[in-house]
Amino acid sequence: MTGTHPNPLAELAKLSAFLRRDVLTRLSYRTAILADWFSLFSQALVFYYVSKVINPARIPSSGGERTTYIAYVTVGIAVSGFLAVGLARLVGAIRQEQFMGTLESLMVTPTTASVILLGSVVYDLIYVPFRTVIFLVIVSFAFNVSFVTSGYIPALVILAAFIPFVWGIGSIASACVLTYRRGSGVLGFGTFFLTFTSGAYFPLALFPSWVEELARLNPIAVTITGMREQLIGGAGWDDALVVLAKLVPMSGITLILGLIAFRAAMRRERRLGTLGLY
Amino acid sequence: MTSPFGDAEPPGVLDARDVTRSFGDKTVLTGVDLRVGAGRISALLGPNGAGKTTFLRILTGLLLPDSGEVTVAGIDVTADPMAARRHIGVVPSGDRTFYMRISGLENLAFFGRLYGLSRRQALARASDGLADVGLSDAGGQRVGLYSHGMQKRLSMARALLMHPEVLVVDEATDGLDPEGARRVQDLVRGIADRGTAVVWTTQRLDEIRGFADAVTVLDQGRTTFTGTVEELMLQSQSRSYFVRLLAAGAAPDDRQIQAANDALGASGTLSRAGADLEHFRLELTEAAVLGDALSALAGTGMTVVDCAQQRSELEQSFLRLTTART
Repeated sequence: MTGTHPNPLAELAKLSAFLRRDVLTRLSYRTAILADWFSLFSQALVFYYVSKVINPARIPSSGGERTTYIAYVTVGIAVSGFLAVGLARLVGAIRQEQFMGTLESLMVTPTTASVILLGSVVYDLIYVPFRTVIFLVIVSFAFNVSFVTSGYIPALVILAAFIPFVWGIGSIASACVLTYRRGSGVLGFGTFFLTFTSGAYFPLALFPSWVEELARLNPIAVTITGMREQLIGGAGWDDALVVLAKLVPMSGITLILGLIAFRAAMRRERRLGTLGLY
Repeated sequence: MTSPFGDAEPPGVLDARDVTRSFGDKTVLTGVDLRVGAGRISALLGPNGAGKTTFLRILTGLLLPDSGEVTVAGIDVTADPMAARRHIGVVPSGDRTFYMRISGLENLAFFGRLYGLSRRQALARASDGLADVGLSDAGGQRVGLYSHGMQKRLSMARALLMHPEVLVVDEATDGLDPEGARRVQDLVRGIADRGTAVVWTTQRLDEIRGFADAVTVLDQGRTTFTGTVEELMLQSQSRSYFVRLLAAGAAPDDRQIQAANDALGASGTLSRAGADLEHFRLELTEAAVLGDALSALAGTGMTVVDCAQQRSELEQSFLRLTTART
């Protein structure tokens, strides 16, 4: 389809409207916010006590530093939580618009499909990293986990480079949901497999060697390992750049594939006329 | 196809020509045309499954036609939907097209931003829109607390945020009480009077009389009628009435009914309406005069106690146009 190409800056300016909409909506569900934080800390509390029965000698070093299981697993929880919440919100956003009947109301406005997708998750793209950082800070105080202060900024940059990967996977999942009206099951399995084999909760050395090899190509594993090296080992910017050199292309390709899949799904829905159906 | 406006037809702000659309093997629209000029209200009628919603989705760029052309303010909707959408306001059918947890004002301001307004402009337009539809006092309330009628009016305000040249209204009075429906119609009439071309779909035939300037009837994806409301009423070939008759204070017997039919002759027929012995169905031909028919019945010695039209001429026309091929 040809036609007028919208002004990219004007389109991006619409994101603040989506952000305001979602802030107001989420503030109206205060109990859900409290439940989310309670769940996160419950998980951390469980692992805190599990860590007391695990010999620190069995935990691999990060950035050359030995550590405890709670420090090791906290980074894993933070990143896997980031992935799980981010994906759930990405996939759920478009589905929710379909269920609420608002998707067609959005689609009849002069707004591109990409901005509608991005707008539907812009709140989460800001909130979920913020949630992750606050979680790391609070856990470090609550459970006496000592993270290297100078490692926070490089770790955050690595986390930021991970966002396009989450967004890309979420866009692919959204495209599947738009097309097949299902897909959360496959998404859940895929996310579990990638997270389980990323070393988020257990050292990769416990797995078969092929899982360790696979982890080199797994952006979740690359992110978790990179953040541990920064937060536990204080590895510094040189090591962070090595991680980023691997992570950025993976994230970029995933994001491009995700946006292509989502646009194709939207085009198909327009052709078939089933966009508002669920 | 005849033009509802004759030679004086204004240029179409909305023009749909020869629109055809299929879903798989099922053809939903076949060569549908619609032209609506500035300030005109064009009613789109059709039974369930006639293709009305599909046609509206094509008009608003949500769905691509297989063939045909739709232009809004001279812009091809298929080729440039983004530009065309700036000129179309849509009032969708049903509720729940808003974000229920935020206020009416915030909802309108949000959609205003999607049309490229700044926050300040969007808020100003939203406030004006709420006032126009009589919802100023409820602007700060969550939409989830709005009644069905209030949501319809809010939907109208949203559709008019950008003062569109074309307003597409999909069954806006569905589920509204008569007062609510009248209020929505008055709003739309006012909008049309200010120059907006309106496409109004409905299944409530009574509401188009004295409201719509033109009517298009769709049936099984085809246009079966295009013209004015008055022209549509002329399509009615027979009229049906319920009459209550007594003969010497008692229910007429079969011999008296036969005598009444003889008296009516070619102008109509009288038949029993169910088990009630005093009530009858009087069917008149297009040329018959009701007064003459009632006089003929009275001439057989019967008393006409009551007479009520079974269906309006509009409804009969509609049924005839939409069931002829079924």
